[in-house]
Amino acid sequence: MADFKTFFNPNSVAVVGASASPGKIGNAVMKNIISSKFKGEIYPINPKGGYIEGIKAYSSLSEIGKPVDMVVISVPAKVCVGVVEEAAGLGIKNLVVLSAGFKETGSEGMELEKRLVDIVKKNNMNMLGPNCVGIMDTITPINASFSSVFPNKGNIAFVSQSGAMLVSLMDWSQETGLGFSRVISLGNKAHLNEADFIDAAADDPSTSVILAYIEDVTDGKKFLQAAKKAAAKKPVIVFKSGTSQAGAQAASSHTGALAGSDLAYETAFKNCGIIRARSITELLNLATAFSSQPIPQNSRVAVVTNAGGPGIITTDAIENSSLNMARFSKDTIETLRQNLPAEANIYNPVDVLGDANEDRFEFALDKVLADSNVDCAVVLVCPTAITDPVAIANTIVNVNKAYPEKPLFTSFMGGTTVEEGVKIVSKAGIPNFTFPEPAIHCIKGMIKYAHAKDNLERSEDSALHYNDVDPRTVKAVFYDVFRDKRRVLLGSETYEVAKAYGIPASPVKLATSADEAAKLAEEIGFPVVMKVASPKIMHKTDVGGVLLNIDSPEKVREGYFQIMDSVQRYLPQVLPYGIEIQKMEPEGTELIIGMSRDVQFGPMIAFGLGGIYVNLLKDVSFRLASNLTIAEITSMIGETKAYTLLKGYRGKKPADLGAVVDVIARVAKLVLDFPEIAEMDINPLFAYEDGLSAIDIKITIS
Amino acid sequence: MLNLYITGAAGSAKTAMAVGLGLKLQQEGYKVSYFKPIGITTATGYNVDEDGLLMQKVLGINHPIETIVPCNTSPFYLTRYHQNEEIIGKITSAYNELSKDSDVLIIDGAIFPHAMASMKLDVASLAKQFNAAVLHMIKIKNDFSLDQAVFFNRYFQCHNIPVVGNVFYNVPRQIMAKTEGVYKEILSDNGFTTLGIVPHRSELTVPTVEQYYQILGGEILTGEDKLDLPVEDSVVGAMTIESALAYLRRAPNKAVVTGGDRADMALAALETDTSVLILTGGLYPDVKVIAKASEKGVPVILVHHDTFTTIERMTQVSNRIKPGDEERIKMAVENVEQYIDWQSIITSLK
Repeated sequence: MADFKTFFNPNSVAVVGASASPGKIGNAVMKNIISSKFKGEIYPINPKGGYIEGIKAYSSLSEIGKPVDMVVISVPAKVCVGVVEEAAGLGIKNLVVLSAGFKETGSEGMELEKRLVDIVKKNNMNMLGPNCVGIMDTITPINASFSSVFPNKGNIAFVSQSGAMLVSLMDWSQETGLGFSRVISLGNKAHLNEADFIDAAADDPSTSVILAYIEDVTDGKKFLQAAKKAAAKKPVIVFKSGTSQAGAQAASSHTGALAGSDLAYETAFKNCGIIRARSITELLNLATAFSSQPIPQNSRVAVVTNAGGPGIITTDAIENSSLNMARFSKDTIETLRQNLPAEANIYNPVDVLGDANEDRFEFALDKVLADSNVDCAVVLVCPTAITDPVAIANTIVNVNKAYPEKPLFTSFMGGTTVEEGVKIVSKAGIPNFTFPEPAIHCIKGMIKYAHAKDNLERSEDSALHYNDVDPRTVKAVFYDVFRDKRRVLLGSETYEVAKAYGIPASPVKLATSADEAAKLAEEIGFPVVMKVASPKIMHKTDVGGVLLNIDSPEKVREGYFQIMDSVQRYLPQVLPYGIEIQKMEPEGTELIIGMSRDVQFGPMIAFGLGGIYVNLLKDVSFRLASNLTIAEITSMIGETKAYTLLKGYRGKKPADLGAVVDVIARVAKLVLDFPEIAEMDINPLFAYEDGLSAIDIKITIS
Repeated sequence: MLNLYITGAAGSAKTAMAVGLGLKLQQEGYKVSYFKPIGITTATGYNVDEDGLLMQKVLGINHPIETIVPCNTSPFYLTRYHQNEEIIGKITSAYNELSKDSDVLIIDGAIFPHAMASMKLDVASLAKQFNAAVLHMIKIKNDFSLDQAVFFNRYFQCHNIPVVGNVFYNVPRQIMAKTEGVYKEILSDNGFTTLGIVPHRSELTVPTVEQYYQILGGEILTGEDKLDLPVEDSVVGAMTIESALAYLRRAPNKAVVTGGDRADMALAALETDTSVLILTGGLYPDVKVIAKASEKGVPVILVHHDTFTTIERMTQVSNRIKPGDEERIKMAVENVEQYIDWQSIITSLK
């Protein structure tokens, strides 16, 4: 990861392309740096010299003659290379390139960008951008950007791949009072990318929440590493756009990179403890919650309300979010019963009734928060004629201070009537929402983070290790396949590969003539399965390419021609390699273990119910193969319905779960050992009471 | 003077056979010449028959190309029907020229054995005129291909034209067993000889990006210097991106045909083993796609046809041996030596 020692708190900044004319970016940056109250030296660079915004301008970086910690560049792309070269020569380490006209404009721009990166890498420099809005740090403070707004000081670090999102969000945050520690616009990510800044934010003592808007991840491995490290220390909340088919296409044309599958992102985020926001609103709500409230110890939520309806709505939301309605202790219930009006609901949700004043709110809220069965609370305030929102707000702020370890959310439900009350709670750092559901989503997000953090701490145990695998055989098989100019292995070849890695597979042999087929069938033992051998045929059954339960040499010979003829009728262009002969295995619980290598995050393992209904039932769970542990595999199996079947469903004997875990681990080991495996599928994998048998294995290499 | 007429369907490797056999016989000390009475000119190619030029160079024939290939045809030639006499005259005098100073004259068949039958210029009519024996080349697509071969053999027989035998050329490994075990036997049951079964060697048949470009036309957006990449397979990128990657990964050295507006598909293709990206519909791709392709060294061809027309045209790409392609010329000779009973061809001609 990059060395950021002086990136966020430089002692001096030069602005190349600084301009005295308002409306130019070079002028906006100058104004921003000055108005952010940056305490270090500012050196405007402009060939014309003179004074810019009242500061003496230099004609070039070299002319300054004093050390410069950071250079902000806002000159045309073609000129940039020269500037960066000059900066490198002067030993300057940090660059923020605002200029556009690089990769985003085509081959020529890409060349220029490559040259920038070459210089930067050769000289151990840090470069943000190009084509970015810049950086802002409220702690230093410095606003080296052309954003129209400098955010409030706070504890959120925001990393954004979209400059527009960043600028809009900063403007919006002024209204809500959300504060930021630092804000980074990534631009083209030619050198520094999201992983570097997440990593830096993890180490930044002024940051307690990391927020990111991304369209793609530059380096999956580095990202996972940075995010994992960060999430172990503080919440990392990411909004990833381009999740829909059309959205991914738009993202591809925007970033020029192939979008990894959304499923891979989902799995990767889970793997490294990232909280994924599904909308910008959710991103901001979570940011608000995490930045101002502690993480709840557990998922038991108390609701205090002055109206019945909203109480029910909130209860629904809690249950639907897999959170729990807190069950109060006897003491709490008794105290509430004795002190609240008889009509009040003393069980959760506590209804203090429409005529409640601040005292009644205070009493109820204080009692439920004091209860050890309560982990967090939501207060709903409905503006009745008697309600005094300001007084209630002040009361809530006071009670919150008494229970700093329990997160508190409010929902002042209404508009102008509750406006003043909302201001008071918001100022005190209690997240308020016009309606209660977002508050519940925030609690859910916080609980998710707590679990993820736990998982990260637990997953420190060792990686998968096997002594009984034979990579040399696999290598030899792959060599032959490549030499045959194929990318897809034949059944007989996948059997060799599986065997070499201790994956229990049913033996497969390839016959290239009817007589050979009969001979092999006799060797294997009847009954046998016959399958057409062709890398071009994805679904063999559909083209009459499979015969089951063949029990004599004559029938094998007959079957050989039957399959060949049928395949030729359906797929006249396809020429099969022959027929694979396999032992007819007894039926077991049909499972699938799959692997697809994601372009960003590497091999992703799938497990679920197998057979022909895989695509229909979609009972599949996913994990990244890297750092997969036995505990993770067990939890992966537990997420599926297949698990229920394997445990023994409706009187059926339980299957060999240990063997399933072992095979998943071995598949993970195989695909990690051989990066040339692009796709792999074991379907079906029959699970028996004792042991397993992989019936059909497909492997594509690249 | 021995006259051997090589016949067979389009793409049955008549030329490869002529190259291999011609050179082999030269090595054996025969004076060999080549004659292609009916040539074919392609729409995008040269105005002369390419095989004629190739053989002229390979065998070192000291006759002008107009003598080696006196007449050219195309799928629309019958407006010249009344010129029958003139054409026959040209063919006959060319034959006389070429046969003068050679021991063996290899006569190459037109695109199909029946081509120009309307003008009595089909293979059977000409073989009879030149007193030639026929060597029939078979390319197996399915069982009907064998039927076709039997039909032609029988037709020659009925017209008292000697058939020296049949050769299966470019037989894929997958149907080698069937060719040897089934097809050869059926030919023999029908009284016809198999002189050789030549296995498929991809080096001999894999076309290059250049050949696709010649057939498709269009605009090369990047990778002009990479047109010699081999194209072994083609994939149409019309599916969702999630399923596309699995298809794209299965095919090595492929042409990927997709719309110019499918940046995602193009980028996915570039992540896999792709020899050329063919973008259809005249839609210019995003600059980033071109940049990525040039980074990966993959040519991008933009065509103005729709995807269906493009694919239809792509099926017309065949890989011809070109003059100067020493490797493949050598391989053609090796094939004759290794897999074909060329001695008995000579014997039966005598």
